[in-house]
Amino acid sequence: MEYLMIIVGAVFVNNFVLSQFLGICPFLGVSKKTETALGMGFAVIFVMGIASLFTFIVNQYILIPLELEYLQTIAFILIIASLVQLVEMVIKKFSPTLYSALGVYLPLITTNCAVLGVALMNVKPIYAYTLGQAFVNGLFSGVGFTLAIVLLAGIRERLQYSDIPKAFQGFPITLIAAAIMSMSFVIFSGMI
Amino acid sequence: MLFLAEVSVEAIFIPLGILGGMAIIFALLLAILGKKLAVVRDERIDKVAKLLSGANCGGCGHAGCDDFACSLVKGEASINDCNATPKENKDKIAEILGITNDGEETAVVVACCGGVNSKDKYEYQGYGDCKSMELLAGGNKQCSYACLGKATCVDNCPNYAIEVGMEGYAEINQDKCTACGNCLTNCPKSVIKRIPASAKVYVACNSHDKGKAVREVCSNGCIGCGLCAKNCPEGAITMVDNLPVIDYKKCIGCLKCVEKCPVKCIHEFKGKSK
Repeated sequence: MEYLMIIVGAVFVNNFVLSQFLGICPFLGVSKKTETALGMGFAVIFVMGIASLFTFIVNQYILIPLELEYLQTIAFILIIASLVQLVEMVIKKFSPTLYSALGVYLPLITTNCAVLGVALMNVKPIYAYTLGQAFVNGLFSGVGFTLAIVLLAGIRERLQYSDIPKAFQGFPITLIAAAIMSMSFVIFSGMI
Repeated sequence: MLFLAEVSVEAIFIPLGILGGMAIIFALLLAILGKKLAVVRDERIDKVAKLLSGANCGGCGHAGCDDFACSLVKGEASINDCNATPKENKDKIAEILGITNDGEETAVVVACCGGVNSKDKYEYQGYGDCKSMELLAGGNKQCSYACLGKATCVDNCPNYAIEVGMEGYAEINQDKCTACGNCLTNCPKSVIKRIPASAKVYVACNSHDKGKAVREVCSNGCIGCGLCAKNCPEGAITMVDNLPVIDYKKCIGCLKCVEKCPVKCIHEFKGKSK
């Protein structure tokens, strides 16, 4: 039950993009086509899951015993950056097809604030997550991100073929669509 | 100086040591794994990629020149798939890869000269692109083979070599065209054809309908009379399915067919102006 709560919370209620406004940069930058949005989404799921696992371990067994919690941010950035590098190398070696599919997006994720956000939120004392819960939260925060970016990509594909006033063409109408999506996600708030 | 006295040495050096240590461990790990997991790249790929046109037009069906070079080196693609690379460079690539280059340079022409002379079926009010229009009863031209003139090829041309003029059909500026073939793959009517770059004439009609049916919908369309085939001194033209087919190996460029065609749908091909 607790895991279900975390999953619903991560995907809908506290959706990283639409409720917490993290990771807006790739949300707007890589949402022109559904395919690339999906690629970015999977890359984020992947990195968020692994990053929350490793950051949780480092926090639990290195930072807390030494009373260095104030180093969380910088330590997590270090971990995420090296992790993405490592993952990139492994994928390049063992699955060139997956590498070419994720290719450009993996390095982009290094500096994605949503990934750092999920790592930092996992270790907040008020949640008191266990390792498994932190991992699931990371994974499904990624799913929430994917949901948001794919939805927006679908809308933007339709917008390309619509008759939009000139002043609204391009980013303005995209931002409006994103805002309406965000407002519609408000209905989930208070569920948990 | 007062603050410094209050801060203990440990408070500075322990975090420094922890973070520094972590960074060093990660760096070493990445360095070692980087060596172990390194992917060897065939050096021929770079050489080949340098010789390719670099247009990244995608005409070969690959995701750009670099990707095409990879496939070439692996032997999965043929050098003839690329039309934008000049012949000398293709020969050099063939030399690097140890294959022979027997391809001929090609050019791209629009096999339709109907345009405004081809009658409309209905008034189209949808999105202005040929592919969308084609979905509506195959386009608004009564001739089902005709160029729709909504410029999907223009949008897809990386070299800005195509335009749809007052005549209402697409025209290719051969000086700008690299024959990459993006327009070919994107034309819903397949009205753009590839011919040898050395060609002197081409058939500017795509209609396989019978003469009477063509005449009813378009004043420029080929009526399949066969005068061109009869008057060709080399016998290079044969009528196939109501449309002349030119054998460019036999064609000597006398332009008799251009002269004799009653509807003027065989055009002289001038090629590049250089």
